[in-house]
Amino acid sequence: MNTATMNLRPLFMPRTHETTEGNKTGSWRYLRPRYEDKTSPCSAACPAGEDIARIEMLSAQGFFKEAWETILRENPLPGVCGRVCFHPCEGICNREGFDSSLAIHTIERHLADTAARNDLKPALEKLASQPQKIAIIGSGPAGLSAAWFFTMLGYACDIYEALSEAGGILRWGIPEYRLPAPVLRTEIGRIESQGIRIFTGKHISESELNKLRGNYSAVFMGCGYSRSTPLGVSGETSESVKDGLEFLRSVRQGEKPSCQGLSAVIGGGNTAVDVARTVIRLGGKAAILYRRRRQDMPAFAEEIAMAMEEGVALHELLAPGAIEAQGDQYKLILRKMKIEGQDKDGRGRIVPDGDKTSEVTVERIFTATGADVAEPWYNPPSDKSGAITLSHCQIKFDKGGIPLVYGGDLTNVTKNVTQAIASGKQAAMAIDTYFQQGRDAIESRLASCRVGDGLSLSMEVYMQGARRLRSSHIVQPEEINTDYFQFEARVVQPRLLVEERTGSFNEIDMRISANLAIREASRCFNCGLCNQCDNCYIFCPDVAVIRGRNMEDRHINFDYCKGCGLCAAECPRNAVTLEREGL
Amino acid sequence: MKRVLEGSHAVAEAVRLANVQVVSAYPITPQTHIVEIISDYCAKGKMNAKFIPVESEHSCLAALVGAQSAGVRTFTATSSQGLALMHEILHWVSAARLPIVMVDVNRALGPGWNIWTDQTDSLSQRDTGWIQLYCEDGQEVLDTTLQAFRLAERVNLPVMVVLDAFFLSHTYEPVDVPEQKEVDRFLPSYSPRFNLDTRNPYTLSPLVTPAFYMEMRHDMALAMDEAMTCFAEIEEEYAALFNRRYGSVEAVTCDDAEIILVTSGTITSTTRLLLEELRAKGEKVGLLKMKMFRPFPVEAVCRALGRAKKVAVIDRNFSFGAGGVFAQEIKAALYKLPVRPTVFGYIAGLGGRDVTTDVLEEIYIKTRETDLPSQESIWIGLQEVKYAN
Amino acid sequence: MQIDAYDREYMCSGHVGCAGCGATIAMRLFMKAMGEKTIMVLPACCWSVIAGPYPQSAMKIPVIHTAFETGGATASGVRAALDMKGDTETSVVTWAGDGGTFDIGFQSLSGAVERNEDFIYVCYDNEAYMNTGIQRSSSTPYGAWTTTTPGQDWKRLRKKNIVEVLVAHRIPYVATANIAFPEDLIRKVQKAKSIKGSKFLHIFASCPTGWRIPSDMSVKIARMAVQTNIFPLYEVENGVHYTINNKPKEYLVREYFKLQGRFRHLTDKDLDQIQEMVNEDWGLLLKKAGERS
Repeated sequence: MNTATMNLRPLFMPRTHETTEGNKTGSWRYLRPRYEDKTSPCSAACPAGEDIARIEMLSAQGFFKEAWETILRENPLPGVCGRVCFHPCEGICNREGFDSSLAIHTIERHLADTAARNDLKPALEKLASQPQKIAIIGSGPAGLSAAWFFTMLGYACDIYEALSEAGGILRWGIPEYRLPAPVLRTEIGRIESQGIRIFTGKHISESELNKLRGNYSAVFMGCGYSRSTPLGVSGETSESVKDGLEFLRSVRQGEKPSCQGLSAVIGGGNTAVDVARTVIRLGGKAAILYRRRRQDMPAFAEEIAMAMEEGVALHELLAPGAIEAQGDQYKLILRKMKIEGQDKDGRGRIVPDGDKTSEVTVERIFTATGADVAEPWYNPPSDKSGAITLSHCQIKFDKGGIPLVYGGDLTNVTKNVTQAIASGKQAAMAIDTYFQQGRDAIESRLASCRVGDGLSLSMEVYMQGARRLRSSHIVQPEEINTDYFQFEARVVQPRLLVEERTGSFNEIDMRISANLAIREASRCFNCGLCNQCDNCYIFCPDVAVIRGRNMEDRHINFDYCKGCGLCAAECPRNAVTLEREGL
Repeated sequence: MKRVLEGSHAVAEAVRLANVQVVSAYPITPQTHIVEIISDYCAKGKMNAKFIPVESEHSCLAALVGAQSAGVRTFTATSSQGLALMHEILHWVSAARLPIVMVDVNRALGPGWNIWTDQTDSLSQRDTGWIQLYCEDGQEVLDTTLQAFRLAERVNLPVMVVLDAFFLSHTYEPVDVPEQKEVDRFLPSYSPRFNLDTRNPYTLSPLVTPAFYMEMRHDMALAMDEAMTCFAEIEEEYAALFNRRYGSVEAVTCDDAEIILVTSGTITSTTRLLLEELRAKGEKVGLLKMKMFRPFPVEAVCRALGRAKKVAVIDRNFSFGAGGVFAQEIKAALYKLPVRPTVFGYIAGLGGRDVTTDVLEEIYIKTRETDLPSQESIWIGLQEVKYAN
Repeated sequence: MQIDAYDREYMCSGHVGCAGCGATIAMRLFMKAMGEKTIMVLPACCWSVIAGPYPQSAMKIPVIHTAFETGGATASGVRAALDMKGDTETSVVTWAGDGGTFDIGFQSLSGAVERNEDFIYVCYDNEAYMNTGIQRSSSTPYGAWTTTTPGQDWKRLRKKNIVEVLVAHRIPYVATANIAFPEDLIRKVQKAKSIKGSKFLHIFASCPTGWRIPSDMSVKIARMAVQTNIFPLYEVENGVHYTINNKPKEYLVREYFKLQGRFRHLTDKDLDQIQEMVNEDWGLLLKKAGERS
């Protein structure tokens, strides 16, 4: 008898037969994590509210087309802004405190140039067609932006442009070396390809405007400022003092006005600097005379620096006093100013420094002290009764009830290209809300599209895109876990040497390679935005972070999450929020 | 084939014939010959096994826990201090239900250092859940070791085969060593009921709460009970092949005995000689050899001792504060009988002191001449101590 | 970060580790690198409990729990059995805490590696007997409070340098690793797996409960241990060839100490002294690696 074949009694011994998955440790939790994308400070600072963290994330992953489309959702002119915007985004970038801010504008330009070079067609969401037609007066950044966004919202648009080519200040004001015409044409071409009609060489008079109102359901006034303000001193004539903006326009039209000798440029804004640098390129010498100090100049600091590299002289604390003709030249008498205390805007308050004056003899004088409308009726009426005043535009209703929207430089507090683009977007949102829900809904509807806590609005949010789920909390630098980043130098965008610059109107800043663009975009912290780095997944002690099939989304398995908080602590970019359980 | 082997060598032969695959060893006199011979066999290829020269006895048995759990037949041997050091793991092995076979060469525990035979080492491990089988001679050693593997693997409890130091381990005797083919018919290759296998993973010996622990221990108790009957069956099979059997106890002329001497280990051989002499003189004396100590063969003991008037248990061990271990267990076994013999407990031979026929005769006479034992435990052969201060 | 091909899990949710437990992060990452052909020997430590009570197990590989001091010996036995069965694919691993490695398990570990047994011995180090209630071990660092070094009797003895002990055994591979450096940890595990003979990994596994830190700080504190040179990341091959893996910016040790409740009692003078000790040890290590300080 072989006992080996007999039936053995079952063994009850310490040997497992289940996993611990029956033990729902989620019951231990008193804090609960949640994936919550938040607002990056750059996107809130961008007047157009671009989703910058996401743009950089997509660029770093090599998804240039998708990154470019992300820009276009909020800004139709990346090729322009990547060159001429004053990039407040970079000023507030959280990486500045770590090593250096991200070269956001360099990447934006790279994306636009890449799209242009490859003739990419964007795939963007558009709402259903609406019966109303919109008329837009002026094809500057405000008008182009308004047309773009109205079209996204389903409206047919016609733009009326007085000059021979569209673009406004982009074509006729900003010099070629900052914004080449071919680049602008490509951008405008894309806007036109959405079905927008631009009628160039069509100047609209006040009476023609009234006729227009019969054919359209709304009108956007984006005529801008095309006249420099006069100096208001004795001896000022159309001969002795040239309009700075007029000068820039003629150069952009291909003329080469004589710039022999020394030109004095009065003013401290970008126009003054543009005029001075244009004079240099036309073979002349230029001196900027400004009544305050260099640090008070509204012009971009980088532009001022480049101007001085190119040989432009800068004389501070000098205000124009009087002009005396002296044959072919002019004697410019200047009053010396000094700083006493501070103005309301924080700039030093200037007062005349006694009776001190100085003189300079020049070939010509340019005024670039400010700008104004070409025709007075461009401005929004002073009687605001019944009007809606928003941050970047004003809406007036005529007796027929048709809204007339004033935007761009006409209404913006800060007058620059990106603020103009924001103005066009705001106008489109406001009018669409007016048509769909009525006047009273405008304020709250627009408020719900704010990016973070600022004035910028998001069209993606307005159109119920994914961005509407984002928290408006703006990520602070201390909320970034810098343990996951190494010091890395900011990309240096190559630039023409001074000698190469002053000899022509060639574009100064040169392009970068895709390699460098990706490397720079990878420096972005992606504040508040999950970029699938998987730290949460790697460090979860309870295997409670589940990744979606495409590895794009993550969620927490609350059956097991003990609320330790490691996912939130180790998320480099504050994309995980930890809150008390039960709330 | 009959050979003249010392007890240690008989163990080694049994281990070889059992196709043990992993042996771990730490040297301690007088176990050393066992592991030396096995090491030699492994080196020469006579045995196809891995020999792990561990760094302590505790590690020795722990290594076998690992090896046996991974699904191979294992073996080790130790003694005295080594067995004591292994104590924690002895408990572990049995509760882990690992059928490990280990030889313990009964040696006295120090201090003072004493390498000679004494049963206290193995008996003080009586609660650890190991089956304990005591051997009298070289042949029994070989046979019992082979049977131990069968028994252990049948009930999933470890088996300790016990030899006397020097008297058995180092004494040469004729031993019939069976052929491998014959042993293979008795002892097939190891087929584990559970083992560590990446194709079927589970965890062994995890945390067990009060909710389950008692049942696991109860299962061990049932297995220990089963071991009693299994041993008998296994002996039958062995006898059928090799014509030798021993029984859990062996009763010699106990039927009409008035006094029965109870012994274990090599003292049994000596007692057999005395028995012949006494019987020749007409003394109504019997001998009960205890082979199986765990599980304790209560029924067999009652059957053998029940009708005697007196029982003299010879313990070559001592449980301080109680008495000789065999005496205690026998008293407990006899307790249920309505009529039971008077049990005399004798302590002899501690630390290897010789237990001769004279010593045994003294024990017999003392038992015969007194109605009741003068003390709980009667120490035999104590000498006057000098220099105690 | 990118760790490719490690999407499989060999550890389950539902284990009873404390929230934020560094030892569970260590196990999870370790097993991702080891894969399913692994048998684990688990002597008494926190993981003896974390793995779950009968009938549950948090591990998807075969595991054998063993007595406290038997990590090295039991693994030797498992390896011997696998060799006898002709299994050349399965790796044998011992997963032990600092108590079972530095103290009670020291002999068994030393014996096993002296025999150059083919297995990986992993010590996950939370710097005390945490499972039994935060008592000191020879791995507890200088300056720490534990329940057996309380109050002013805080531990005034240095942490035992177990890595150097193992290096002295001249085994093929010894390395330190840290849960805050997962790529480095995984690389070292894979390397160990590919080598025959004894391999020792010393993994720094922070313990929120025993170190008196919030549960969400375990990774950060572990990282700081490397950044302050308190727990340098390095490898030693064959007992002679040192490679330092990470040259941190050398934060001050007081930054590490002041974040943990177990060091709250230390004065500035104590911290200065500790800074000197850490600098000295780091200098010694650099020398061994043939580098200048």
